[in-house]
Amino acid sequence: MQTKIKVYGMTCMHCHKRVTDAISAITGVSSVEVDLEDESAEVEFDPDKTDLEEIKQAVIDAGYEVGEEEKACPLPFETEQEACKIIPDEELEETTEAEPGHVEDIVFRVSGMTCASCAQNVEKILKKQAGVVSASVNLPMSKAAISYEPASISRDEMEEAIESIGYHVVHDRTTLDVGGMTCASCAMNVEKVLKRQKGVISASVNVSTAKARVEYNSSLISVEDMIAAIEGIGYSASLPVGREETEDRERKEREEEIRNQRNNLIISALIAVPIMLGSMKEGFPGLLWFVPDFLTNQYLLFLLATIVIIFPGRQFFVGTYRGLKHGVTDMNLLIATGTGAAYVISVAATFLDLGPGYEHLYYDTAVMLITFIVLGRYLEARAKGRTSESIKKLIGLQAKTARIIVGNEEKEVPVEDVEVGDIVFVRPGEKVPVDGVVIEGSSAVDESMITGESIPVEKKKNDEVIGSTLNKSGAMKFRATNVGADTALARIIELVENAQNSKAPIQRIADVVAGHFILVVHVLALLAFFFWYFVGFEAYNVPVNSGLLSPFLFALLISITVLVISCPCAVGLATPAAIMVGTGKGAENGILIKGGEALERTLKVDTIVFDKTGTLTKGEPELTDVISLADVEEDRILAIAAGAEKGSEHPLGEAIVRGAEERNVDIANAEEFKSIAGRGIEASVEDSRILLGTRKLMEDNNIDISAAEKKMEDLEAQGKTAMIAASGDRVIGLVAVADTLKENSKEAVEKIRDMGIEVVMITGDNHRTADAIANSIGIERVLAEVLPEDKAAEILKLQDEGRIVAMVGDGINDAPALTQSDIGIAMGAGTDVAMESAQIVLIKNDLRDVLAAIRLSRLTMSKIKQNLFWAFGYNSIGIPIAAGLFYPFVHTILITPALAAAFMAMSSISVTTNSLLMKRKSIK
Amino acid sequence: MNEQSASRRGKYALIASLASSLLLVIIFAVLSVFVNSSRTVPLYSQVDIIAGTIFVFVLSMIVSASIWPGIIEKRIS
Repeated sequence: MQTKIKVYGMTCMHCHKRVTDAISAITGVSSVEVDLEDESAEVEFDPDKTDLEEIKQAVIDAGYEVGEEEKACPLPFETEQEACKIIPDEELEETTEAEPGHVEDIVFRVSGMTCASCAQNVEKILKKQAGVVSASVNLPMSKAAISYEPASISRDEMEEAIESIGYHVVHDRTTLDVGGMTCASCAMNVEKVLKRQKGVISASVNVSTAKARVEYNSSLISVEDMIAAIEGIGYSASLPVGREETEDRERKEREEEIRNQRNNLIISALIAVPIMLGSMKEGFPGLLWFVPDFLTNQYLLFLLATIVIIFPGRQFFVGTYRGLKHGVTDMNLLIATGTGAAYVISVAATFLDLGPGYEHLYYDTAVMLITFIVLGRYLEARAKGRTSESIKKLIGLQAKTARIIVGNEEKEVPVEDVEVGDIVFVRPGEKVPVDGVVIEGSSAVDESMITGESIPVEKKKNDEVIGSTLNKSGAMKFRATNVGADTALARIIELVENAQNSKAPIQRIADVVAGHFILVVHVLALLAFFFWYFVGFEAYNVPVNSGLLSPFLFALLISITVLVISCPCAVGLATPAAIMVGTGKGAENGILIKGGEALERTLKVDTIVFDKTGTLTKGEPELTDVISLADVEEDRILAIAAGAEKGSEHPLGEAIVRGAEERNVDIANAEEFKSIAGRGIEASVEDSRILLGTRKLMEDNNIDISAAEKKMEDLEAQGKTAMIAASGDRVIGLVAVADTLKENSKEAVEKIRDMGIEVVMITGDNHRTADAIANSIGIERVLAEVLPEDKAAEILKLQDEGRIVAMVGDGINDAPALTQSDIGIAMGAGTDVAMESAQIVLIKNDLRDVLAAIRLSRLTMSKIKQNLFWAFGYNSIGIPIAAGLFYPFVHTILITPALAAAFMAMSSISVTTNSLLMKRKSIK
Repeated sequence: MNEQSASRRGKYALIASLASSLLLVIIFAVLSVFVNSSRTVPLYSQVDIIAGTIFVFVLSMIVSASIWPGIIEKRIS
């Protein structure tokens, strides 16, 4: 049996030899042919003795990556090349108008139901709806099965009913790989056909990533149905395979596209030169004396132009044919009409006697048109690959193997085989394969690939490690906590992919334009043709000014130029290219932005609300002061307080115990520990009743605190939390703890204020403490004594003032506020809640990343606007000039069809390049 | 049922597109002939008129084939 596998990572003949040796060493392999340039290995082997997997493993063990074997390439390029472009409305499967009395079934997945009464509530509300025949809720499955009359109630109305009582309808989501899309019109058509499918709730198609993100109800439509619907309009669709296979396939597709367009460009450019010289010699014989006469031969010109039309130009005609077969229009049509018209009229003039005015041939126009457009497509294909580099970098970070401990022995396994709970061993210099918690050893870990933080982080027992980070200095063992799709990296990749597939609201303009543009352009071309044929040709004395004797030829040239210059591909690329680069750049810096909408809204933010604890502060209170107010030594007060708090799980109590340990104080033994919610604790230490807590706790126990009041106020004014310690019925001292500010909080707040954004702090602390902290970092507006559940209401109040509010929190108890705000920014990507409730997730706990996120959104939005300006600018300036608007004044055609093609190619290239320039900008 | 309906709509759209394109072509040809007949030296050669009608037909078919299906669908529904 013979097969060819892709081998990546070989750079020299040494690599070549290693791969050859590794495969040859396998029993059953009869011959190996490694091709360094092609990055492949052709292997002949006996399938009874070995298999492909073993061969691949040998290559991996030798230190290289393997791709798919050739025969298994999932997407045949022929099919993609032949894929059609769009479909007209009448051919789309349509949701038929329901007849009254007709009953249908639907199943919703409902989240938030915790008990039988929840299920009953959902059932009741559904049954109350007019049109619902029956409803049955399955609590364990979290599903509501409903029979309903579509004529009386819609799916959305039923969803609204469920959500109106506090539950949430969960939609199924999938991402499909779509092949054969070449422009924004294609994306719109795939989106349209998906949205017309019964059960599809929303669909977002990105032509740059060739992916369709679909939200649907699996009880109404399957993924296979959606694939069939897409294939039905001439595109190819498939479920994404494994990430590595996807990556491999995408690389092959991109390489193939670049190779095809490069070959097309070489052919058309080589032929364009003699055609141009031959055609121009007629006009400038003196200047082009060196051009041999045979190049002016019209039959030779016909032959050369035909080669260009048949080979590099075929893609436009094939694309047009496929589109027209379904009654749709795309950019191929514009190019095919333009080049086709120039070619046909030249062929007719070559072989037929068309009379005066038809001596001139336009082969050069047709060939130059194709050459420029192919050049544009070639450069675009190269640039498009670079826009999605960030996601590929992330995928490339994943470790391939892991070393797990099985029965006291190390065993190397593929990373996919690691399970939660496995003990993983990593040596210095190795990648941490999955997420976990260190159980033995310590090391410095380079987390820069995930967090963007360049300084390695020290890891010791009980610290969390993130999969795909690099273990730098020491060996350690850790217990796997997240594997496969649950690792932080996998979630980041998914989030970034989804973000890159999303659309910014600003793209609506581009979509509307791209959707109707081609039709409008043809109307304009037709109008321009009529005008110059019937009016302009004679009125502006074209035969004298331009030397063209035929009104048809002149009007045709104008018309072709209008068609060619109007291609809207730059409009379609403007937003997705910038979003892809922007979100990718964010991911590289530890800033995960969930999509275009978040980017656009961040730009408008005028108020940022910071949660205090864990966001502005470290979130871990530290013991700051111990003050004696009686004849008891400070260390004794601390020993008693720490003893009383020893059993406490409250962060303040833990801070006191930690403080006592750090000061080497002998902690007293406490008994009868009792926690009094919101007030403090009560315990018995060495037969004395000890109280430690707030003023309220003392008042409740009739203890006079007048001696402590002044000192307490001073401590609170410094932003500290002071607790009164009482023994028996007298105050013996004060213990103060404070949550210290993060090092970068002040700098970040200052810079955000400099950007003209008001900074607000929200906290559950009392006003005095809150004001003290806010003052120390320059925050003027403070929302103090706000309970966690009231934070969302406070955000709403700010929004009612007309502000666009961003909320920065740790994402756990701030989740409602993060959701309520216009932009939720969650610090730290460790929790699902953080990932779910915020639109921007900062992986590091560094407030300066808030600033970087704002800068990134401003940068991306400015790129989108620049791109749209360029894209629309080319067309809005180009079309009137191409239509001959200035001819009456300058008496010559300012833009020839070939020049129009060059402009059109430039528009796509400039938009993509402009987006890529973002990579060079610093956001930190 | 849906297929039948779609095929019927497609047929109507094709007929409408052909009809409107032919109408435009006729207008173009008649105008050309009219301009020529109103002058002593004709402005348009036969090739101009024939090539022009073909070009106008192609462009107008593209335009009308994009417009008519939507109109017919709305009318039918």
